[in-house]
Amino acid sequence: MPFAITRRSLLGLIGLAPFRTAARAEGAWQAIMKEARGQAVYFNAWAGSPQVNGYIAWAADVLKARHGITLIHVKLADTAEAVRRVREEVRAASPGSADLIWINGENFRAMKQEKLLFGPFAETLPNFALVDTAGKPTTRIDFAEPTEGLESPWGMAQLTFFGDGARLGAPPLSMPALLGFARDNPGRCSYPAPPDFHGTTFVKQVLAETIREPSLLRLSIGKAEFADAAKPLFDFLDALHPHLWREGRQFPLSQAQLTQMLADGEVEVGITFNPNEPANLVAAGTLPRTTIAWQHAGGTIGNTHFLAIPVNARAKAAAQVAADFLLSPEAQARKADLAIWGDPTVLDLAKLTAEERALFGSGDAPGAVRHPAPAIPEPHGSWVSLIEAAWLERYGA
Amino acid sequence: MRRSLGALPLAVLWGGPVVLALPFLILPALDGEAWQLLLAHPQLAPGLALSLATGAAATLLALAASLLLLAGLHGSGARRSFEAASAAGLALPHLAFAIGAGFLIMPSGLLARIFVGGGEPPSWISVQDPWGLSLTLGLALKEIPFLTTAAFATLKRGEHAGALEAQCRAARSLGHGPGSAFLRVVLPQLLRQLRWPILAVFTYGATVVDMALVLGPTQPPTMSVVIWHALNDAEPAQNRMGLVGALLLTAALALAAGAAAAMLAALRRPLRRFLTGGPSALGLPRRQAMSLGLALAAVFALSVVMLLMLSVAPRWPYPALLPPGFSGAAWETLAASPNPLWLSLGLGLATSTSAIVIAILWFETQPPARDRWVVGLALASLALPQLALAAGQYRLLLGLHLSGTLAGLFLAHLTPAAAYVVLVLSGPYRGFDMRYMAAARALSASSLRAWLSVKAPLLKAPLLTAGAIGFAVSMAQFVPAQLVAAGRHSTVPMEAVTLSAGGSRPLTAAFALALAAPPLAAFLLAALLGKPRWR
Repeated sequence: MPFAITRRSLLGLIGLAPFRTAARAEGAWQAIMKEARGQAVYFNAWAGSPQVNGYIAWAADVLKARHGITLIHVKLADTAEAVRRVREEVRAASPGSADLIWINGENFRAMKQEKLLFGPFAETLPNFALVDTAGKPTTRIDFAEPTEGLESPWGMAQLTFFGDGARLGAPPLSMPALLGFARDNPGRCSYPAPPDFHGTTFVKQVLAETIREPSLLRLSIGKAEFADAAKPLFDFLDALHPHLWREGRQFPLSQAQLTQMLADGEVEVGITFNPNEPANLVAAGTLPRTTIAWQHAGGTIGNTHFLAIPVNARAKAAAQVAADFLLSPEAQARKADLAIWGDPTVLDLAKLTAEERALFGSGDAPGAVRHPAPAIPEPHGSWVSLIEAAWLERYGA
Repeated sequence: MRRSLGALPLAVLWGGPVVLALPFLILPALDGEAWQLLLAHPQLAPGLALSLATGAAATLLALAASLLLLAGLHGSGARRSFEAASAAGLALPHLAFAIGAGFLIMPSGLLARIFVGGGEPPSWISVQDPWGLSLTLGLALKEIPFLTTAAFATLKRGEHAGALEAQCRAARSLGHGPGSAFLRVVLPQLLRQLRWPILAVFTYGATVVDMALVLGPTQPPTMSVVIWHALNDAEPAQNRMGLVGALLLTAALALAAGAAAAMLAALRRPLRRFLTGGPSALGLPRRQAMSLGLALAAVFALSVVMLLMLSVAPRWPYPALLPPGFSGAAWETLAASPNPLWLSLGLGLATSTSAIVIAILWFETQPPARDRWVVGLALASLALPQLALAAGQYRLLLGLHLSGTLAGLFLAHLTPAAAYVVLVLSGPYRGFDMRYMAAARALSASSLRAWLSVKAPLLKAPLLTAGAIGFAVSMAQFVPAQLVAAGRHSTVPMEAVTLSAGGSRPLTAAFALALAAPPLAAFLLAALLGKPRWR
């Protein structure tokens, strides 16, 4: 195609290339929107929260009215269900049952490595330009795994602690402070047992606060170096455990159980990955209005959750339109609203118009985090299995 | 020809989907890497020991309590009301019972609030104790209604009840007291017919996940929980380890059951000496049975009351005796999606009816010697941890392009429902005295007519009970249904599990109660309609 090349170089020469790509992208997006109309999107999303479910139902109504897309919420108890389902379907060459999956972390890594994802699509979505990729680098790096456009950022998460301010007074703002608190209040603290996701994150947080060489966390690590690097971590846990619930010999199985124990009065400190969950639980009446939420002063582990399209999805066009809508300032602002869901936005508010910015309220409800701390990126993926195995070895039996 | 035709529906609808799912389990069994991972797992040995110990202890406890109840209530007027109570207890899902009873005994639970009080809960090690005692007790309590219901179905069987009564009278006239007559006449026949339900209780107890998560120990947890975590992992290597773990647990269960059977066989001679001994004036343990029955009824009733309270209490902190506020939000969420309820009811009716029909066709056309195959298959399908079998069956249905369809969903629900129906029915059906049929045929009735007017009425109670159990099992299906539904259909348990994945206790409690209601109606109906008509 010599002619085409010549024409392209000519256009490039006269400086119109950027304009032309934008125009082509615009045209391509129009084609996707057109194809999407009338399609049904089976959105596989964790459904353990009435607030999340209510938000997805709202998004379904808007997509139907504006784009003629039917969004069906396939309610999951665990995202790994959808990963396994897509894996089996692709292996059996059977038509796909999922069009859009709410995903991150090891589920994303597994799907990416096994080539179960459609894309790249995320960074060509019109609203992706508004994402705060510089201020929130985890919107493009999911648990140290580059997203490469295979998933579109949806919301932010950061390890947060909470409890009843009327009982706690000043909350412990670091791991050593938490140890002191546990010593003064024996049996009144605990954390979910790894490999529960929140439990593993708690241990990662201890690691991040105790490690002598923090730069190691960004690198791949082998077994031999791990034993040395993680020594302060396990020294700390050895010191902490005797003061925990059931003397650190038994642990709650999940974050949900720990939260229930907090609500019942069996422990004093809860853990969550959604900084706004405590405020949300206060609004739902599960926690008292005196609830406070805090992050450790030196920062806590943070990450992003995403939307991905399986490689065997039947409605890829509509799935992209849905992902783009969920990234819009309108949808992101509603999601961040403490009364709706309270999931922090992935957008850069500075990139929005004043009108769009005004959609985002200030988070000052009872139970909201008063002094947000910086987010610490997740350690490299190679740390996780080593941490979980070592924890199990030491405290699991 | 007719013979093989009679076996066909059972083979195609139930046997096929189970047997053809097994190869999907054998392949992973040859995975050396998965075995290495499993054998290196620090929780393997203690978890396996916990699973077997809690399962066995719960089975023995439940059996002892059930026998005490049966003996004490034998020929007593209180039996009928206890039957209804049993049915109610049977209808309550395991998880619901665990949550309700757990809230009674946990450190911040109702008992501590009443008897201890103070600003902070006592440091009781009640639920999730490291020895698995609360799990054992919870399992045992929950299985008593199943065993007594199966026993009542056997004892009530029309022609059998009359024969037993005559035998008891004969024993009494030989100088045996009522207790001695029960021990030497009723009990041996009863235990023989209860052997499969007892084994089902053991396999269920040793493989249960939901109850173990609420009441069981955590470090280490039971092996079923270790397997469950591995099968739910995103890493295929962990899934494969979970699968071989499930196979190992099944093998261990088979070994334990085999050992128990061998022990019973060795005891046969001394047992026989005991059975033919006497006469003794032993009475029936009426008072003990009455107090045990009342205590059981109280625990179940209190658990349900706890569930009702929890379902409307968003918050109930220690040491308050009543929740500080009430909210109907959980029930509203439940009422907002009625479609899963209709699908569940439809599937429950369709599978329990089909299960009864294919079981009858089998028993009517096949010689009893072949029963060991279906009973073995039923036990295997119940003993193989559900996640493993369901995964195999899912792959099978996926290959047939039945995943995401109602037909696939029906087959997935039929697998466990038919297994229970076959187990509960095989004893009473095969114990039927064929001379009744011979008499009817001699009066020149056609075989269908003889079946309808003689055998069906006599077998009414066990058939209805089996149907109700099949319905209840179908209503409670989660794992296989979730896989096969592929997100295209939703049943009540799927809604319940996914919506309460966030750990909202009001929602979990409300769904647990909603799940209990339809089976409760089925059991009460079965108990009501199963009354022998000559009384």
